Amino acid sequence: MVTQHDVVIVGAGLAGMRAAIEAARGGVDVAVVSKLHPVRSHSGSAEGGINVALGNVADDDPDIHTFDTIKGSDYLADQDAAEIMCHEAIEDIIELEHMGCYFSRLPNGRIAQRPFGAAGSPRTAFAADITGHVLLHVMYEQLLKHEVKVYEEYFAVDLAMDGETCTGVVCWDLVNGGVKAVAARSTVLATGGMGRMFHGTTNAYACTGDGMAMAFRAGAPLKDMEMMQFHPTTLKSNGVLITEGCRGEGGYLRNSEGERFMAKYAPNALELASRDVVSRSEWTEIHEGRGVDGCVLLDLTHLGADHINRALPGSRELALDHAGVDAIDDPIPVRPGAHYQMGGVATDVWGRTPIEGLYAAGEVACVSVHGANRLGGNSLLETVVYGRRTGAKAAEEAAERRPVEATRTAAGIDMVRQRVNRLLATESGPRSDELREALATTMYDNLGVFRDEAGMTQAVKDIAELRARYDEGVVVQDKGDVFNSDLTYAIEVGYLLEMADTLAQCGVFRKESRGAHSRTDFVERDDENWLCHTIVRRTPEDPEFTIETAPVTITKHQPKVRTY
Amino acid sequence: MKAKLKIWRQTPRPDGSVQRELVPFEIDVHEEATLLDTLDAIKHHVDGSLAYRKSCRMAVCGSCGMRMDGRAVLACKVRMAPLVEDGRTPVISPMGNMPVIRDLVTDMSDFWSKIRATTPWLVQDDTRPKPADGREHLISPEEQAKITKESLCIMCGCCVSECNSMEADPAFMGPAALAKAYRFVGDERDDATRERLKAVDTRHGVWDCTRCYFCNERCPKGVDPRDAIAKLGAALFDHGMTRDKGARHAQIFINSAKGKGSFPGTGLLYNGHLAETALVPYTLGPEALLPEWAMMGVRLAMRGKAPPPWHSALHRQEGLDEVQELWRILEREDGPSRRGGEFDTPAGEMPPNIARSLRGMFTARELNERTGTKLVDEPTEESAS
Ligand SMILES: Cc1cc2nc3c(=O)[nH]c(=O)nc-3n(C[C@H](O)[C@H](O)[C@H](O)COP(=O)(O)OP(=O)(O)OC[C@H]3O[C@@H](n4cnc5c(N)ncnc54)[C@H](O)[C@@H]3O)c2cc1C
Repeated sequence: MVTQHDVVIVGAGLAGMRAAIEAARGGVDVAVVSKLHPVRSHSGSAEGGINVALGNVADDDPDIHTFDTIKGSDYLADQDAAEIMCHEAIEDIIELEHMGCYFSRLPNGRIAQRPFGAAGSPRTAFAADITGHVLLHVMYEQLLKHEVKVYEEYFAVDLAMDGETCTGVVCWDLVNGGVKAVAARSTVLATGGMGRMFHGTTNAYACTGDGMAMAFRAGAPLKDMEMMQFHPTTLKSNGVLITEGCRGEGGYLRNSEGERFMAKYAPNALELASRDVVSRSEWTEIHEGRGVDGCVLLDLTHLGADHINRALPGSRELALDHAGVDAIDDPIPVRPGAHYQMGGVATDVWGRTPIEGLYAAGEVACVSVHGANRLGGNSLLETVVYGRRTGAKAAEEAAERRPVEATRTAAGIDMVRQRVNRLLATESGPRSDELREALATTMYDNLGVFRDEAGMTQAVKDIAELRARYDEGVVVQDKGDVFNSDLTYAIEVGYLLEMADTLAQCGVFRKESRGAHSRTDFVERDDENWLCHTIVRRTPEDPEFTIETAPVTITKHQPKVRTY
Repeated sequence: MKAKLKIWRQTPRPDGSVQRELVPFEIDVHEEATLLDTLDAIKHHVDGSLAYRKSCRMAVCGSCGMRMDGRAVLACKVRMAPLVEDGRTPVISPMGNMPVIRDLVTDMSDFWSKIRATTPWLVQDDTRPKPADGREHLISPEEQAKITKESLCIMCGCCVSECNSMEADPAFMGPAALAKAYRFVGDERDDATRERLKAVDTRHGVWDCTRCYFCNERCPKGVDPRDAIAKLGAALFDHGMTRDKGARHAQIFINSAKGKGSFPGTGLLYNGHLAETALVPYTLGPEALLPEWAMMGVRLAMRGKAPPPWHSALHRQEGLDEVQELWRILEREDGPSRRGGEFDTPAGEMPPNIARSLRGMFTARELNERTGTKLVDEPTEESAS
């Protein structure tokens, strides 16, 4: 079965819905395909807030926001892209407010802003600690208002390609079963991140790098894949994130001796240094024996019950549910966890990939505004700003393209059908979760907060073995059509393995330390040789990767030593 | 630890019927494991065909609503350790009030269409002036707080699953959609209040709720949908939309409790004693004379479930004084400016008999302590000194 639209958006998180709304405003026929109902998307779990230089609390300026972003990125961000994001932020956030978004407010009625790591001013607008949730719901409201067609619980398996052009997406209908294609003149990927390849990730089960893998297999280049951000405060049991807002509101990080150890590593910014710095400091404390059961302690007790209940109720609840700790009485044990993929499908500042008809926005994309290290609060912003820009461009260019004939997706449908049939027919071999567990272990051990040649090479080897086992066949026990999540997990694990491979190989490739990529065998940043993006690609026919470099766009800010 | 579950597995057969089977499982999980982790362990190590929804595992995406021992929960918010310690084997089943797709996966399309039917987005008049500086609307923290609870809703469906009214009337809009409706009625930036209220003032709207409070109790996020429904009811009164039987019932209940009403010849109802027997006929109006209603009244009386009509002439409901005083305080506090919109009828004076009894019951200070509110017409200590 094939349906046709002008623009199809794959993914209904913040980036996807924002793109869909803008495309709908562009007057074209838009559809959204999502493996989850839109409000189930992982954008909803963002707690801390969204950066915008409104200057409601203290003087601020989009130029300072831009500088903070670039410095935070360890000078790997493309500066033109960062400028656009920080300057257009103001209008976009005001628009969200006008759409009806709930924000925490100052006594004078303006949107409240709180300090976040590595920001020169209290710049993070928020709604208590449910910012992503309120944004996601206001975006869904607007999606309904614009009457955008949503294919709910459609799992996109592959892009439909007609030669070099993307002609839509081929999906598995999760609820009813069956391969169904959505043909479109413009296809926008907004499928979010890929944290599930790590143990202890803050990401949802659905964050499996699907869009990156689909684009990659179609020949689109991926950029800076080695740049996985680790969040400094995640719970040990399952990686659930405790927001940076806890430190923004005045929380302390302590080691087993009760010492506020950040004073040693970032004497000025302390707990609010940038994420890579805090994560490394924690790792060092833990590995030098000053941890508590593999964690450090996030201490909120001095804030008092009132403050915690008012400003951080969600964090208190999460610590209760997943660590059995009441933050009012006791410090929360936390450790760094895989959080955000700075890299992704390479796009220009309009979300365009080098593949005709294919766009990307949000965490799946790499514009790049985050470079080697994203600032907290900047990725929600990216989804909104670049979601809008990408939706507008996809609609505009769709109108210029010829309609896609439904038959142009036939090859894609056949391929997907074969893959599904093969998965369902496999009778012996590992279950997909066994492979994912093994992958997550090697990733956590070898591509974590600190990396070196030996470890990363080990990971590359492990991944190659896992990929070979996967290709031999994984067993899907569920053979039915209706809500066969066993089947979709198996497909997801295939994406994860391939994306992990790009991450590990790019990691080996970059022989310096920059932002999240911190090597113990190359401890310094090396601007002479490595002030550049890594670009990894393959062709649809040949699964071998090639890795090369591409220049970073520098406009105003020459690289400087980064201290906090 | 070893966790035990029994899961209602349900598989649709090609002929449209459903095969149901209660299947026991026992599986090793880690100490911090949730119910969702336990289902995962089963799916990965025992039976890959178990179907349930999940995503964020941090109680914000709303995917994993299901029933545990007959009560709706988010699987990711239930810790297994206490259950294991107590040696319990919880029974897991899909949410109620929704068709089952398979195992624990329900069809939520009715849920979403009810949300959709509330015009769930901000509506502003073209005539409303935009903020002059091109920035945000100025909303005080107190004003914004009016919709805080409703903004917490993650649309997991737990409230709808447990809704008794929806069980009786599947067309009832239900707690989630009504909470969403209030989210905009309570928003200062929205200009469609009247239309929104009209949309909930229907046979299947606000007054269809039986006030069992299950939604409040089972909501995993503290939205308290029943409170939102009450707020909608109050807003209906504020806007003079009181024609529904539900509204009439509430109004007559209040009048009877206050001892104040406007019908002629209603001394029995409005003597300030709260006349339960008279409530129903006055709510129904002439319809009360229809044989079905009349017979039901007789049957109730014969079974001792309705006091005789003269009962309230002699008996005053216990605790009524306090209720009356609370009402009085609310009438003063809860002015049109606070709730938005005009009152249909301005708050009246309490009859002298009630005022007297109140003064006899509490001092000004006690009232202050009991209600946290100062009386205006009673001398307080500060004003006295
Ligand atoms: C716990 C947590 C807290 C965070 N807090 C903050 C914060 O405070 N501030 C900040 O700026 N950022 C924060 N982030 C980061 C930020 O939330 C995310 O980067 C951002 O929301 C990603 O949005 P997205 O629209 O790109 O993807 P998502 O919201 O993840 O949406 C992805 C969408 O793609 C769909 N999809 C995926 N694969 C497929 C497929 N194969 N077929 C069909 N559909 C598919 C999914 O169904 C979903 O709808 C946080 C992240 C996490 C994990």
